[in-house]
Amino acid sequence: MALIVKFFSLFKINLKSSGIEYELKEQITISELIKKLDQDFDGYFTQKLLESDGSIAPGSIILVNGHNVIHLEALETEIDNQDTVTLFPPSAGG
Amino acid sequence: MRDYLKRQEKLFTEKQQKRLEELTGMIAGTGGLGTNQALQLQRVGVKKIYLYDYDQVEITNLNRQLCYGKKDIGRPKVEAAEEFLKQFDLETEIITRNEKISLDTKVPQDIDIIFDGMDNFESRFILDQLALENEIPFIHAGIEEFFAQIMLVLPQSRLRLKDVFAGSAKKKTPAVFSPAVTVTASIQVLEALKYLLGFDNYLKNQLLHIDLLSSQMEKIDLK
Repeated sequence: MALIVKFFSLFKINLKSSGIEYELKEQITISELIKKLDQDFDGYFTQKLLESDGSIAPGSIILVNGHNVIHLEALETEIDNQDTVTLFPPSAGG
Repeated sequence: MRDYLKRQEKLFTEKQQKRLEELTGMIAGTGGLGTNQALQLQRVGVKKIYLYDYDQVEITNLNRQLCYGKKDIGRPKVEAAEEFLKQFDLETEIITRNEKISLDTKVPQDIDIIFDGMDNFESRFILDQLALENEIPFIHAGIEEFFAQIMLVLPQSRLRLKDVFAGSAKKKTPAVFSPAVTVTASIQVLEALKYLLGFDNYLKNQLLHIDLLSSQMEKIDLK
């Protein structure tokens, strides 16, 4: 089993990818995941998910198994194989 | 069964049709999503709809808010929406509340579900809190550009809207247009009815993501 990372909305369209899987040797944090994603997607996720001070940018959602990481350990939330991370900018209008 | 509902007769059991005609919904926000929800709920033949909004009709509403025209600019939205819906002379009762939804809002006690018709997450979190306090099901939808999400939150749901969407607030005004708004509101009404009428496969602990650019819908598990 691998760590599953899924992209939705503009992330999926911009990257022309619906996600990626990583076989992890040990647990990593969301921060470390963003670094891995940056390597595979040319720095895209730091730009989209993080503010210049390194905090999570408003308007982007990082879910670990359906839970918003803001309510977990934020960027220090640990993830492992079998977890699913969902990344998307939620739609706010009506 | 009302005569004008004849063509949907085969979709439902007799019990479901009876339940449908007894349903009351609260539409919180009569903007793009809300006006579409109202039209759909009236057409499927629910008993009563409460329309909530505190705003007046503006010119920029007219690209997607289907109950209003240029003649309505400046009128209270709920008043214009009520007039528009009542011209069809269908049996669904329309009740209006020209007020801003806040944590002090007295939610009608005869409603079966609250429909999210808001256009920002701050208001939606207030609505979700009202739904929780009043133990009423709540169905969220948000639409922006070609993408939308829908989530059914039940009184017993472990995850509330804030658990999933905290940090969603953005500064810029979302881009919205009619076809995508109508599709989203229609699916929102459909998903609400599936739950209320006792269909098995409603959105249980799942977020429905709609990607109209890729013509795809996907359910995201909320474990």
